[in-house]
Amino acid sequence: MINIFSQLLMQANKSLGGLCLDPQNASPGPFVLGNGDFFIEIPVAYGCSYSDLTLTGANGTARPEASELIDKAIGTGVESRMCTAIKVACYYLEAGLVRKPDLIITSNSCCDAMDTLGNLINGYAPWARVPRFNMDAPHSYDEASYAYFGKQLRQAVTFMEDVFGRKMDWDRLREVCVLSNKQDQLLLEFQELKKAVPCPANPDFSRLGFAYDRWTGERVSPEITGWLEQLVSASEERVKAGLGIEGINEKVRFLWQDLAGSWPPGALWTRLQKELGAVCIMDYMSYGTLTPVDLSSEEAMFTSFGKRFLLEDPMNRQALHTTDLFCNDILQIVKDFKCDAVIMPAHIGHRDTNSRMKIVREMCREKNIPCLVLGMDIWDKRYMTPEVVFDRIKTFFETVNLLG
Amino acid sequence: MKSGLKSEVFEKFAAAAGGIMNPSVAAWKQQGGKVMGYTCSFVPEELLIAAGLMPFRIRGTGGSQSAGQADDYFEAANICSSVRHCFNKVLLGEYAFIDGAVIGGGCDANRHILDNWQKSPVATPFLDRIFFPHSSHELAARYFRDQLAGLKVRLEAHFGVQITDQKLRDAINLCNETRDLQKELYAFRKLNNPPISGAETVAVMVAATSMPKAGYNADLKQLLSELRRTTVPDKIYKVRLMIVGPGHDESSICDIVESLGGLVVTDLTCFGAKAMFGRVRESGDDPLQAIADYQVLDRPFCPKNLGAHPHIHDEVFSNIRDFKVDGVIGQNFLCCDTWGGEIYILSKELKAAGVPMLRIEREYISDSTGQSQTRVQAFIETISGGV
Repeated sequence: MINIFSQLLMQANKSLGGLCLDPQNASPGPFVLGNGDFFIEIPVAYGCSYSDLTLTGANGTARPEASELIDKAIGTGVESRMCTAIKVACYYLEAGLVRKPDLIITSNSCCDAMDTLGNLINGYAPWARVPRFNMDAPHSYDEASYAYFGKQLRQAVTFMEDVFGRKMDWDRLREVCVLSNKQDQLLLEFQELKKAVPCPANPDFSRLGFAYDRWTGERVSPEITGWLEQLVSASEERVKAGLGIEGINEKVRFLWQDLAGSWPPGALWTRLQKELGAVCIMDYMSYGTLTPVDLSSEEAMFTSFGKRFLLEDPMNRQALHTTDLFCNDILQIVKDFKCDAVIMPAHIGHRDTNSRMKIVREMCREKNIPCLVLGMDIWDKRYMTPEVVFDRIKTFFETVNLLG
Repeated sequence: MKSGLKSEVFEKFAAAAGGIMNPSVAAWKQQGGKVMGYTCSFVPEELLIAAGLMPFRIRGTGGSQSAGQADDYFEAANICSSVRHCFNKVLLGEYAFIDGAVIGGGCDANRHILDNWQKSPVATPFLDRIFFPHSSHELAARYFRDQLAGLKVRLEAHFGVQITDQKLRDAINLCNETRDLQKELYAFRKLNNPPISGAETVAVMVAATSMPKAGYNADLKQLLSELRRTTVPDKIYKVRLMIVGPGHDESSICDIVESLGGLVVTDLTCFGAKAMFGRVRESGDDPLQAIADYQVLDRPFCPKNLGAHPHIHDEVFSNIRDFKVDGVIGQNFLCCDTWGGEIYILSKELKAAGVPMLRIEREYISDSTGQSQTRVQAFIETISGGV
C-alpha cells in the first residue's frame, strides 16, 4: 500500500516533470517568457501563460539525456564557466526549441548568469520584434526598494495590457492572491513542523511544495491547496506521534546552503538518509520567509510583490543581498531547525556564494558549526559525481563525530 | 608596454597607469588631499570630486600573477580573476593610501568586495556601496539618483564637507572636459597613421582614473598639442582592430597586436571608450539627477544591464565604420558571465555582418601570453590575407 507521502511525492513530481518541456507546451492564450521568476499571480490572474527559461534549463539537467544536453549547451559558445542550468537554457534558446513568446519580461535577479540569459533572450534575433519589458531588482531590501520594484511590476502590467489590448481584472488578481496567501501559509506550517526532531516528513517536500505551487502555472489550483493541506495534516500526525521520516533513523540534520540542483531526490539525499540517517532539513528553495500579500490597496499589493521578489523568493533572498543577510539566515536556520552541520555546495556558477566563502567558513568556525565546502556543479553530475559528494559528506560527518 | 612616443607628459600617464601608487597621487596626498577608491566606471567620479576627493579606480594590475590572499576570500576557480587581483592588492596594502572606497555592484563578485573588505584586517576609514540599476528606464534613473543622494549625505558626514549643487556642477564640467579631451585623443586614431598607438592610448585612459582630474586634463591638453605637431612616418598596418570587453586596464593585447604589425584603433571597454562616452547634462536644476540620467539612461554599456545590448551593438558598429576597423577582438575574463554572454551575442552579429572576430577568454593577469600571441597572429594573418 502506498502511504500518503509517497502519493504526494508522485503527484508533485508528475506536475513538475512537465516543466522540462515547458517551452514547447503551447498553452492557449498569450505566452510570456522571462529569464527568471515573475510574480506568478499576475500572469495567472491575467490569463496568460508564463515560462521561466532558467527553470526550464534547470529542469533540462534532470532529464535522462542531461549529459548530452549539457555538452550541446557548452558547444553554443557562451561563457564556459557559467552556471550549467543557464547554459542549457541558452542552448534551448539558440537551438530554436523555445516557443516564440508574445511578450518578454526580464529582470536581473539571482545571479549574473540569469542576467546573461536575459540579455540573450533580448538579443535573440528571431524575436527582435517581440515586445519586451526589463525590470531592475535592486540589491537592497528596504521599503523603498520594495516600492521601487513594485512600481516596475505595476508598469509591467500596464505594458502587458497595452501589448495584449486587454485590461487586468483586478478583482481576479486579488482573488488569486487570497488563494496564494493561503498556500503560502500552508507551506510555512509545514516548515514549522520540520523543526520537530525527528523531522516528520521528507524535508524535500518544502522544495517540492514551493515549486509545485509557484511554477506549475496552477497557482490557484485547488489541487495544490489540497496537496499542501494533506502534507501538513499527515506531518502533524507524525509529529504528535513522535515519528520521523518513515524508514529513516535520523542521526544528522544538515543545512544545504544552495539550490538542491538536479541531484535529489534520487542520487544523493535519499542515499544520505538511508545509509547515514543524514537528513537535509533545509536548502535555498525550501526556506520560506513568506509574508502574505497585502491586499489593502493596489499600491500595497505591488509593494508586497516587490518584497516577495526581492526578499522572499528562493535564491533571490540568498543571492541578491549582502553577506550579512546570508550569514544571519544560516545561523537562524541552524538554530531553529536544530541543524548539526552546514554544507556549502559552492556551485561553480554561483558567483555570489563563491565570493563569501571565507566569511561563512569563519563564522561557522566561530559558532562551532561544522561546515563543509564542496565546490561542485549542482546541475552536472560529471563535475563531481554523486558518489564523490556522498563520500565527502560521509567523511565529513565522521570527522566531526556526527554519525555516533 | 612598448611605446615609441617621445613625450614627457606621456611618461607621466604611463607612470600613473603602470602601477598603483604613482607620483601624481603622491603629490596630491603630500598636499593633504584625500583619495577615494572605487570599482566600476558607473561610480560617478563627479560626486567624489565635488566632495573634494580624488577618485582612484581600483585595479589589480602591476605585480604578481598570484591573487593568493584574495583567493582565501573568493573561490579562485569560480570567480573572475579581475576581482580577485583587485582585492588582493587591497589585502597586500597597496591601497593603503586611499581614505575610503565606494564599491559598485557591477557584477556579483565585484559587489562582494565590500563584504570581504569589511571583514578583512584592512582598516579603511570609509567603505560604502552603490548599486547600478540593471535596466534603463526613468524609474531606475530616479532610484539611482536616490542612491547617489544617500551616498552624498554619507560622504558629507564622514569627510566634514558640504557638497553643494555648484560643486557638483563644477565637477560635472571638469569630467565632461575630460571626456571631450579623450574624444579628441581617439579622433587621432581614425587616421591611417595615428600619432598614438593602441597600447599608448590605454595608458592615457587608465591614467584618467589614477590622477587628480584637473591635472590630468591639463596634461592631456599638452599631449594633444604635441600629437597635433607630430609628424608620423607613413606606415601600412596589417589590420586595424577594435577591442570589446570589460575592464581593459593594461595593454597586453594591444602590445601583442601591435608587435605583429597590426594596430588597435578603438575599443569598447570600461577604461576606454565607455568612460568617455557622451556628456553629463550641465543644464537643469538637479545635478545629481543629471549624473544618474547619464549613467542609467545615456550610457548603459554594462552587459549586467538588461537593456545594454542594443547600445553596445550600435556603438560597436558605429566605431567599426568611424575607425575603419578590419576586425574585432572580443575578450572577457574567465568566469565573467555577463561579458561572456555579450561577446557571444556580438560574435553572432559580427559574423552576420561579415566582420571578423577573435574571441579571447582569459585571466585578468595573463599567464598565457604565448597562446594569445599565436591566436592573435593567426587572426591578423587571416584578415590581412597572409594565410
